[in-house]
Amino acid sequence: MLDWQFSLLLLSNGVLIGLMYALIALGFVLVYKATDAINFAQGEFVMIAGFVVVAFLLSYKAPLWLSVVCGLAAMIAFGFGLERAVLRKLIGRPVIAVVMATIGLAAVLRGIGPLTWGADTKNLALPISDEPFVLGPLFIPPIQIVGAVVSLAFLAGFGWFFLKSRKGIAMRAVADSQQVAMAMGINVERYFALAWAMTGVVSALGGVVWGSLLGVDVHLALVGFKVFPVVILGGLDSIPGAIVGGLIVGIVENVAAGYVDPYVGGGTKDFAPYVLMILALMIRPYGIFGKRIIERI
Amino acid sequence: MRQILAILIGVALAAGSAMPAAANHEIVIGLQCDRTGATQTVGVNLCPGYHDYIRLVNAKGGVDGHKIRAVEIDHEYKVPQGMEAYERHKKEGAVVIGVYGTPHIYAMTQKLTEDRIPGTSPGFGSAAAADGQRYPYIFPIAATYWSQGAAAVDFTKKQLGGSLKGKKIAYLFFDNPAGREPIPVIEDLSAKEGFQLKTFAVPPPGVEMGAQVLDIAQRYHADFVIAHLFGRSPSVSIKELKRVGYPLRKVVSFVWGSAEADIEAAGGWSVAEGYNVMQFAGVGTDYPVLNEIREMYKKEGKEAPKEMASTVYYNRGVLIAALHVEAIRNAVKGKPDGKITGEDVKKGFEQINNFTLGGLVPPLKITATDHEGGGLVQIWQVKGGKFEKQTDWFHAYGDVVAKHVKDAAKK
Amino acid sequence: MIHRECGVLKTTYEADMALYPLPIAKWTVAALAVFFFVVLPLSVHEYYLSVVNLCSIAIIGALGLNILVGYTGQISVGHGAFMSVGAYTAANFAVRLGAPWPVNLLAGGLMAAAVGAVVGMPSLRIKGLYLAIATLAGQLIIEWTINHVTFISGGVQASIEVPRPEIFGYRIASQVQMYFFLLVFVVLALVGTMNLMRSRIGRAFIAIRDHDIAAELIGINIFRYKLLAFAVSSFYAGVAGVLYTYYLGVANYEQFQINVSIDYLAMIIIGGLGSVQGSVFGAIFVTLLPIVIRYAMEAFGGLFFSEASVLNIIPNLRLILFGALIIVFLVVEPEGLNRLWRNIRSYFRVWPFAY
Repeated sequence: MLDWQFSLLLLSNGVLIGLMYALIALGFVLVYKATDAINFAQGEFVMIAGFVVVAFLLSYKAPLWLSVVCGLAAMIAFGFGLERAVLRKLIGRPVIAVVMATIGLAAVLRGIGPLTWGADTKNLALPISDEPFVLGPLFIPPIQIVGAVVSLAFLAGFGWFFLKSRKGIAMRAVADSQQVAMAMGINVERYFALAWAMTGVVSALGGVVWGSLLGVDVHLALVGFKVFPVVILGGLDSIPGAIVGGLIVGIVENVAAGYVDPYVGGGTKDFAPYVLMILALMIRPYGIFGKRIIERI
Repeated sequence: MRQILAILIGVALAAGSAMPAAANHEIVIGLQCDRTGATQTVGVNLCPGYHDYIRLVNAKGGVDGHKIRAVEIDHEYKVPQGMEAYERHKKEGAVVIGVYGTPHIYAMTQKLTEDRIPGTSPGFGSAAAADGQRYPYIFPIAATYWSQGAAAVDFTKKQLGGSLKGKKIAYLFFDNPAGREPIPVIEDLSAKEGFQLKTFAVPPPGVEMGAQVLDIAQRYHADFVIAHLFGRSPSVSIKELKRVGYPLRKVVSFVWGSAEADIEAAGGWSVAEGYNVMQFAGVGTDYPVLNEIREMYKKEGKEAPKEMASTVYYNRGVLIAALHVEAIRNAVKGKPDGKITGEDVKKGFEQINNFTLGGLVPPLKITATDHEGGGLVQIWQVKGGKFEKQTDWFHAYGDVVAKHVKDAAKK
Repeated sequence: MIHRECGVLKTTYEADMALYPLPIAKWTVAALAVFFFVVLPLSVHEYYLSVVNLCSIAIIGALGLNILVGYTGQISVGHGAFMSVGAYTAANFAVRLGAPWPVNLLAGGLMAAAVGAVVGMPSLRIKGLYLAIATLAGQLIIEWTINHVTFISGGVQASIEVPRPEIFGYRIASQVQMYFFLLVFVVLALVGTMNLMRSRIGRAFIAIRDHDIAAELIGINIFRYKLLAFAVSSFYAGVAGVLYTYYLGVANYEQFQINVSIDYLAMIIIGGLGSVQGSVFGAIFVTLLPIVIRYAMEAFGGLFFSEASVLNIIPNLRLILFGALIIVFLVVEPEGLNRLWRNIRSYFRVWPFAY
């Protein structure tokens, strides 16, 4: 194969996987944007959503659409409940308190998942084939197209929500300044809960897409680690940033694996996005699309 | 029967249990498990297999009348908890420890040697531990990664028509020490057999490897792929290789990417058709010892446990238990009162010879110098919804592997 | 400490800052010393000492992290990696140069301090979440480097066996010997931290935590002190890593991965940020928690679940309880075990005459 074709393949692979990363990063960004909270349990959210959908699909033999709806409902309820029970009590605490709370939550979810539904890997089959579409030199697996479509749909949906809808504008106001928002008669706590519920929605669909790609078990939570370079590069509070950050990370990973690995003889794939992230932190800490307000010294 | 059960699961009686020490001495085994950590999909099926075999032995009256108690401690694949578990086992009086995890066997090597308790590391861990002189209390008791690498090259050679000259082999590995361990051996073989070798690292967590697989299939055009992956990544590799149109019959996986769970997570048996896997324990349900275990459950009026369906890991659990018990049996021969020590069990291990358990265990010959016991593996292939045996027990390039073991011992 | 306080009148700052705030405290400390150096090692089974040893290593590491997070207000998710830097430095010194253990220990600590200061550089520009993620990147990059550079890791297996430490020809191998060996360092670390925090440097750290701009205005060189905090904290981590290496007899990078960093963060948060006692409580708590839960489940689990499933439930339940306790502490008692301890103490201070 010609080298440009291989490069093109790497690029398309990077774009598609990047959009799938963006799907997970979106959940993270939504929460940070609205509540300034950092969710270290994003991967576990995705995992638990995958478990719920699979449970309906396999144990109760529900049809796929119903399982996904149930998964969505469960994750929305979970988002609301979590905000009410834990995160509301941590408002105004230092950033490390929220970080640790979500780390604790991650441990809880990793225990609950296998305890409730068993530790074996479950296959979440979507009604699409595994055979890739062949477009000239490119191979595109259907599941990644689903992932990309869902990501872009969320981008459009949330874009509209934050720009046009009343609730979205209120949420932006909350994010901007909680005190002023409160003074304007916005029920801040309700919008915090809404933000967590929205994260639940994104995680549920992330769970379906990633679960179908990897199979559902505790390892599904590992995709959460991909979030940090994505959001730092894109900007912590920017929805287009999550998509662009995802694309950058996807492409950089693939290029690193294709062109750097052969020279250093090791997996630079995971490591390259973090190096890029450090550089980004030094040069442009608020990310490509992030708000320029950043706590810095 | 209830009582046997109680003794067995008798972890409950752990703290300061004073069992009536009658004529029969209770022999304690320490079993470390991972049911919640990075490799939990292995642990949840392997450990029940271990316990079932011990129960079977006890149901038949134990070893020369001495009952065996296996104390399981889950260490979450974390080393400090593994060390605590080890000390706890020592306190319970364990005469052999089933260690689980490569970092754990490294961490315990010195302690095991100082305390003179044998520890086993089947299918993982330090390949150098095959040298019984250098590591007197570590027993791999199954093919090490070096032997697995040699076996994979040998299998590749047979598949490619008996010669590897000028062929291109890709080594797709998990980027951690365990994944890199076989590389020196495979590199030596590449010089010896004249094939071209290229390594492709998959960094942890290994949930995405599109670029590596594309490279293998589209740029490097590998003639064969040797895969050494862990956790979720074997199933991902199956899916990705399938996606780029690489024939799975030209892939052979090391022992930790070779279970039913990996095939199912990859999308089922039809997806993985042709995939070759390496095994250090027999696969499938058709072994006398498994029938006995099913019988035992039937007698108790229970169904056979669902873990038995995951035959690869369950059978490995049975294999480990069987080898532990066999070593204890050999040790008890010298001390009929059952008051054996770790040293006795070490010698017991070193007398294991051609103990096959009806084909589930390879015909190992463990000696004072060779703690690996021959490094035997079988290759099985996914065919028509199940694993089909491709080769019998074999060991390849013994001289190359032995040279590496010897060199490592000098360090 | 544990004694009743009354009739205390401090007239100078020196008296207020003293290590022993009361004359009787000397006796308490002496009693504790006798307990830990004589009574405990003579009275319990070796197994319990091995658990205490794990606690000892955790205490040293947790003290270091608390200096950075609790006292200086910086976040680090790279503590495990700093431990590995210490461990591999010492292992290389021990194996290649055949250096004695005190040299290795010091080298490991210093190398970790140097690396820690470098990883801490971004703290000059960013803080909060951004710093957390930058140190997370530091953790991953250090892991990757050790894993791939065979000059450091000593071969593809990335583990180096080290000989047991010797003091005047006396080899430290058993858990009892290791107990005394580690106890000395715990005492040094405790006294060192308490004194550091009473010094000019410690007060500068606290000033930076409380308000960095104000601290700069009163003449504290933020650049220097932040890096110093990272260096000191990493020095502790490095020493803990070296001790852990000697405890195991091997340096292996898989023992210092990201989950170790998270465990240490959990220790200081559960124990109490910005408190020496808190670090000790937290380290002990997090180390003992899985062990205690397992003992409890072994004793009582059979009452609720079938025998076979207990084995599966114990580990998962432990994970759930671990996470839940972190959350409960954050929500209910943000100042951690240390605050609980003080509450109990102040209750008994006036007991039985509460009013």
